[in-house]
Amino acid sequence: MNPTLRRLLSHRGALLGIAYIALLAVTATFAHLILPTDPLAQDLANTLDPPSVEHWFGTDELGRDLMTRAIYGARTSLITALGAVTIAGVIGVPIGLVAGFFGGWRDAILMRIVDVLLALPGILFAMALIAVLGRSQMASLVAVGITGIPSFARITRAQVLSLRQRDFVTAVEALGGSSAYTMFTTVLPNAWSPILVQVVILSAVAILLEAALSFLGVGIPPPTPSWGDMLRTGKGFLYEAPYYAVLPGIVLTLTILSLDTLGRTLARLIEDRQSAEDEA
Amino acid sequence: MTSYILRRLAQFIPVLLLASLGIWAMIYAVPGSPIGALVGENATPEQIAAITIRLGLDQPILVQYWRWLVAALHGDLGQSIQSREPVLDLITKRIPATLQLGLAATLVGLLVGIPVAVASALKPNSLLDRVLSGWSALALGVPTFWLGILLILLFAVQLHWLPSASAYFPLISDPIRALANLALPALTLGLYISGIFSRFLRAALLGELLSDYVRTARSKGLRERDVVGRHVMRNAMLPFVTIVGLSLANFIGGTVVTEAVFTYPGLGRLLIQAIGVRDYPLIQGCILLILLMYMAINLLVDVLYAYIDPRIDYR
Repeated sequence: MNPTLRRLLSHRGALLGIAYIALLAVTATFAHLILPTDPLAQDLANTLDPPSVEHWFGTDELGRDLMTRAIYGARTSLITALGAVTIAGVIGVPIGLVAGFFGGWRDAILMRIVDVLLALPGILFAMALIAVLGRSQMASLVAVGITGIPSFARITRAQVLSLRQRDFVTAVEALGGSSAYTMFTTVLPNAWSPILVQVVILSAVAILLEAALSFLGVGIPPPTPSWGDMLRTGKGFLYEAPYYAVLPGIVLTLTILSLDTLGRTLARLIEDRQSAEDEA
Repeated sequence: MTSYILRRLAQFIPVLLLASLGIWAMIYAVPGSPIGALVGENATPEQIAAITIRLGLDQPILVQYWRWLVAALHGDLGQSIQSREPVLDLITKRIPATLQLGLAATLVGLLVGIPVAVASALKPNSLLDRVLSGWSALALGVPTFWLGILLILLFAVQLHWLPSASAYFPLISDPIRALANLALPALTLGLYISGIFSRFLRAALLGELLSDYVRTARSKGLRERDVVGRHVMRNAMLPFVTIVGLSLANFIGGTVVTEAVFTYPGLGRLLIQAIGVRDYPLIQGCILLILLMYMAINLLVDVLYAYIDPRIDYR
């Protein structure tokens, strides 16, 4: 087994994080097979019921099962995060690759654009974009994705800049490798680790941003279950049903903490490995 | 110093121009006509004619942008569709509330964050360090809006000590009511900020504590308190201030969200309300003003940086 992976799995916090995310992903993916209840099924005779054997998280103002909605909300969150990180990576990584590999005017122009994007507070940018596109899951996904472009571009560029100086890259170029060939077959495969760390960290950021947008009422429109929207509605029933806004929040918080721990542990392990390589 | 500030100011101009272009272009990207976006869907033909002439919507597109920009620079951000009041008036009424919240939260962040960072950096990898680091991870990982809800549940719903929704009272004229209303939002946002402060100040302190000058100071018999207070703290402030500058974007997001949790009448809440009713002139104005405030604080951080480090050449 890969030594970095082995060390990651021996880290208790990271292991817990992986276990939680895996559990969340599996239940969210197979929610329709596992859960007997429909997240949209209303039961107006049993509204705002406290947690019980039938409804572990209780029910909401329309009698819908809150745990079912929290699990389907995980689906919404994970899809948004996956889509947003994909958008950010697919646009950000090539920007960083080209900027770092060629340098010069390409670097100057690309990084200037990235800096402008970085200078804007992400949530503000996302809200402006949603104000234009209208409220939808796609709009949230795209908006969150665009705010992630700068970090991918910067990480990739930094990595490419240091790889550019390495002998094996010079060797490929000396052997007549074209720029595109060198970039994609030699530089990029060696730049993956920090990009992967960024994927994990940005997933946490994307989930948090999406939840914040939904909490503000500009994210994913109801009735699609989303954690942010559950907290938003639950906040209206703090006196009648305090569990409503508390339980989905625990699920959300654990998700963020898991991804954050995982990302930071990975970053540290890769840093250790790189400093060990540099010394060797 | 003045020319340094002016030069930093000049660097903001391209960003601001590009951002203003984006904000202006918003209404052209909205489905339907920009006139509809500006006066609302139920506008009379007279209103449409008036706005067409006033904004020169029959003019070439760059002329339109130029006019909008000149008007904005003169403080004319148009009229709110919803309330028919000038956008600038609506915004300036909200600015003191947001500033008061931001300052109070920053204060909480400093009061909590700095002691946490110093305590954990002085005993790295000790139990205390691990507990405190876990604590900053928690402060950063727990969503601000959920923490706010938990605080409301405890202090308003259970204990009845503080109001569950926060109104704005100026701290100077009505300090008691201001503090009662400010306590929960400032704590919510402040704890998050303290997470940023403690994590990065700890890293900066750890880096400095390994330096040669610290060993020298210790070996000449200086008390640990003086080593940290006089030497390490000053040098660690540099990387720390940089990070704080970079985290400002998160502050802005945190403010918008916190205002929503506590229905606090600040700029962020105004923006959300404007988006809710598709009041585009107001949306444009809010975004522009929040961006301006953000850049002003950024500039302040830069100036502070030059002030802390006399080695920076700001001539």
